Amino acid sequence: MHVSFSDCVRVAPDVLFRLVSDEAVLVNLNTEMYLGLNPVGARMWSVLSEATSIQAAYEQLLKEYEVEPSELRRDLEEFVAQLHAHQLIETRPAA
Amino acid sequence: MPMDNDSSHRYCVYGIAIASDSPLTLPQYSHDTLGRVECLQAPAPLFQKAIESIVFDSRSDSWYRHAVTRDGSTYVAWDAIGEFVVAADGRRIVCRRDEGCCAESFQVYLLGQALSFALVQQRFEPLHATVVVVNDEAVAFLGGNAFGKSTLAACFLEAGYRLLTDDLLNLQESGDGIRAYPGPPRIKLFPRVASCFLHAIANGVEMNPDTKKLILPIDAHRSCSRPVPLKAIYSLAAPHDASRRRDVTIETLSPRQAFMALVSAAFNRTLTGRQRLERQFGMMGRVTDLVPVKKLVYPRTLDRVEEVRDAVLDDLVRDVRIARSSPIAALAMLG
Repeated sequence: MHVSFSDCVRVAPDVLFRLVSDEAVLVNLNTEMYLGLNPVGARMWSVLSEATSIQAAYEQLLKEYEVEPSELRRDLEEFVAQLHAHQLIETRPAA
Repeated sequence: MPMDNDSSHRYCVYGIAIASDSPLTLPQYSHDTLGRVECLQAPAPLFQKAIESIVFDSRSDSWYRHAVTRDGSTYVAWDAIGEFVVAADGRRIVCRRDEGCCAESFQVYLLGQALSFALVQQRFEPLHATVVVVNDEAVAFLGGNAFGKSTLAACFLEAGYRLLTDDLLNLQESGDGIRAYPGPPRIKLFPRVASCFLHAIANGVEMNPDTKKLILPIDAHRSCSRPVPLKAIYSLAAPHDASRRRDVTIETLSPRQAFMALVSAAFNRTLTGRQRLERQFGMMGRVTDLVPVKKLVYPRTLDRVEEVRDAVLDDLVRDVRIARSSPIAALAMLG
């Protein structure tokens, strides 16, 4: 999947999310699949779901984590692609 | 499925009031119950009619059959045991015992697998767990069949601790904690395990024709018949993961891992659908928030089970120490 950083992320309908301490769990009610996120994944999810675009989420996460920009970009791309593959998010052009 | 009935025998199990038209080996009825299920016996033609031209679940085989009937009830049957129809609202189980199946064996299926359909339909989320009581609190061992839950519980019984439930655990949120409800006062063990820890197998009854596992009644002083707060959950490693282990290890699971362990231990996975998933997601999340869940790995030999029991008891004490120390740390920070 090609991830465009100008897109924004929307949580797919029928997906439940719950923070458990600093981690998170999700379930897709349609596919009946559960997914767990470690603390970094949980934070990525929270920032992505509130940001106006993936680029904005990337910039926010870059401020929060000591990480090479290229590495974060790659991790975020992979994360978004995985969430999309599990039908947990939808992406669309930012308004 | 309208029926004339006389549910004159009243009991309580898993916190549920059971009204039955035939006697069951269960504690007597209590007013403080979470729900109600009526158990009625019916002749074979009633079941034949219920499953006329319906499609059985793909997991059905010659031993186990499952289907949803036209009125939304669940039909479930085990060869040489009996058959059951659980009403769509979970408030009634109609059952028939096969000729040749003893009452004890039939009740294991009635009050385990069949009743689990009723519990889930009544919006409970039972876990596949065996539970003992330590210092008036419940300690649950999670795991699938043959994971060693009952063997470990039997070792606790030998040391004087009481059994709360074997195989099916019904939970309810209460105040700021989770309460665990008592199951039938019996345990299922292989003869060698029963002989080792309970020192008596003479009163055991074989569970079904394909296993040597015995159903053993647990007397009143070795079982707990009231709900108790859930103190800790230990998720047992699968036998193939544990077979090469030399040491006993207990590791606290992260909240995400704990949640997944709880979801994996759902007692009845046949009933799915959105409403159940939503409920399960909420309930397992609350249990994760309120109760520590740990991974327990140990070598699967009978001569090491006492060591496992002692490790769990030590771990429970360690948890108490941590809990008691935290307020002092907070005060020191404020100072």
